[in-house]
Amino acid sequence: MLGKFIALSKAGKKFKFELKKDGVALYNGERLNVSIEEEDGFMYLIYKRRKFAIEIGEKNQNKYQIVINGVAYQFSIETPISFRRKKFLQKKHKDIGFEPLLAPMPGKIIEILVEEDAEVKEGDPLLILEAMKMQNEITAQRAGKVIKINVRAGDSVMKDDILVELGN
Amino acid sequence: MKSLLVANRGEIAVRIIRTARKMGIKTYAIRTAKEPSALYLEHADEVVDFIPNTEGIPEFLDIEGIISLAKANKIEAVHPGYGFLAESPYFAQRCDEEKIIYVGPSADAIYKMGNKTIAKQLAKKYNVPLVEGSAKNLKSVDEALSIAEKIAYPVILKAAAGGGGRGMRIVNKPEEMEKMFNMASNEAQKAFNDASIFIEKYVRKPRHIEFQVIGDKHGNIVHLGERECSIQRKHQKLIEEAPSAALNESLRKKMGEAAIEIARSVKYYSAGTVEFLLDADNNFYFMEMNTRIQVEHPVTEMVTGLDLIEQMIRVARGEKLSFAQKDIHINGWAIECRVNAEDVQSNFSPNMGIIEKMHLPAGKNIRIDTGIREGSEITPFFDSMIAKIICYGVTRDEAIQNTLDALNNTQIKGLRTTIPFFKALLHNKKFRKGDINTSFIDTEMKSLFYTEPVEELLAAFMATQDFANELKMDEDSVVDYNKGQTLSPWLLNKRLKSL
Repeated sequence: MLGKFIALSKAGKKFKFELKKDGVALYNGERLNVSIEEEDGFMYLIYKRRKFAIEIGEKNQNKYQIVINGVAYQFSIETPISFRRKKFLQKKHKDIGFEPLLAPMPGKIIEILVEEDAEVKEGDPLLILEAMKMQNEITAQRAGKVIKINVRAGDSVMKDDILVELGN
Repeated sequence: MKSLLVANRGEIAVRIIRTARKMGIKTYAIRTAKEPSALYLEHADEVVDFIPNTEGIPEFLDIEGIISLAKANKIEAVHPGYGFLAESPYFAQRCDEEKIIYVGPSADAIYKMGNKTIAKQLAKKYNVPLVEGSAKNLKSVDEALSIAEKIAYPVILKAAAGGGGRGMRIVNKPEEMEKMFNMASNEAQKAFNDASIFIEKYVRKPRHIEFQVIGDKHGNIVHLGERECSIQRKHQKLIEEAPSAALNESLRKKMGEAAIEIARSVKYYSAGTVEFLLDADNNFYFMEMNTRIQVEHPVTEMVTGLDLIEQMIRVARGEKLSFAQKDIHINGWAIECRVNAEDVQSNFSPNMGIIEKMHLPAGKNIRIDTGIREGSEITPFFDSMIAKIICYGVTRDEAIQNTLDALNNTQIKGLRTTIPFFKALLHNKKFRKGDINTSFIDTEMKSLFYTEPVEELLAAFMATQDFANELKMDEDSVVDYNKGQTLSPWLLNKRLKSL
């Protein structure tokens, strides 16, 4: 599909593109000359005569993880309409103030250090997760109240499992 | 020695087999159910199957299982590689009892150096400087608090049976002691089945300098210079170099002699490593001795021209060292990067998965030690190492540049690796000046991975283009035979990929 798109990074950075006929692409209204090359099963972007190893790490509908020179970037790709809708929903979400804490890696819960309803500060240790024989302290990413603890000591968790839910 | 059982897997199995075969020794590798088609098996002359034990002991820790494999196949010698098996004095002892040649030090040396409390007592006896601390294992939090008071904070708690960073905690103030004490002893119990921990002064901004030693069964011990392993994360080494930018000839001589003194205290033979902390005023302190070949041994091989596995085998056969201390010369500089399947962007968390595609660099200044290939899977069963990339240069600057070139020429598709970390480190000005210490990663690195400003834009564009193509594919679900004539390279590439 041709038209206008916004790539929204995880940190909230916006990249505005317009894709036109014959493969012409505009970035912030200016022509972007990027080509793609495949070599020995690897994909490269060629930009200003330089080669960047690139791969699509994951994609799920409009959510993308792109890996470039071994570093991953996450984007959601929006059309101007979906972007406006997203902004509206985000605002609503923020008002409720709920935020899940995800397991950063697969492992085993060794100890829970807080109780539900406890008030925590940013950086407070919440629980201890053991992975690759190391014990890791998982800390609160923000200040708030522990709304719900979804795991117990001894539980095995997968990456991105919701461990604790923090709220206002 | 005509035959050798390699009681390990991965890159170190490949490494040992390579030298043993070169020496005309028939090599045996152990196949496990967890990775029946692993690369190391293809390098060996013979493959024997591990017979699962009823207790569920992991393959390469099953001492009796390995002994019976050696006996059943009439294999003369065993090399344990590195890891827990190589750290077990009992395994060395059992080999002796069964008249199997153990390619490593004596059981006595492994036992004494493996127990840090005994090792420290020996160092003290031979006047090798030590970091102050508790001479014995701690009995209680109160005892820890009172010793910490005496030697002053910060202090570090360590597992008595430890290694590899497990069971270690730094305590900055008394209020943290109880929590850290419990964490360290829990971790020690889990990792080593022994909860005992001890305490010592925590030396700030220390460098980790270790000396490679090699001894024979006739009482000769020589050191092969140092390796600098100061770049660590959670006490795990990430990159190593030889020699160290911090040492001059006289300090090298002093530390080397101390290393030999430690080795001599246990009548050491085979290859071993004596680890020291070196502070900013060039005071050094003995930490521990590793009684085995180490992951980072290639950098020493590169600058000395020796093959350490060959030396270990020769010593195990009873040969005398063919060189003396005066024959050892350090030439040039070598750097090793441990490329692990870890996501640097999320705290180096293990990144399991399949190596879809891999391109490793090659060249005259490059050595690659790896136990995997395309299609290999990084599983939670074993460590997350993909490959060691070892580069040589005449000077340190040249070695750094050669390493960067090699990393830029490495492509691994399918999972995240520590390569972006190494690029960030090798670009760091302080690192390039050699101004490093063991907390370098926490204090001196703004970003743990290397990126270029334009990369995010290119990634955003890639995602946008792919998304647009997906939408277009949905619209085009009705087959149009004229479509192919105006196929964009993006779409073409997508189709190629999905073949």
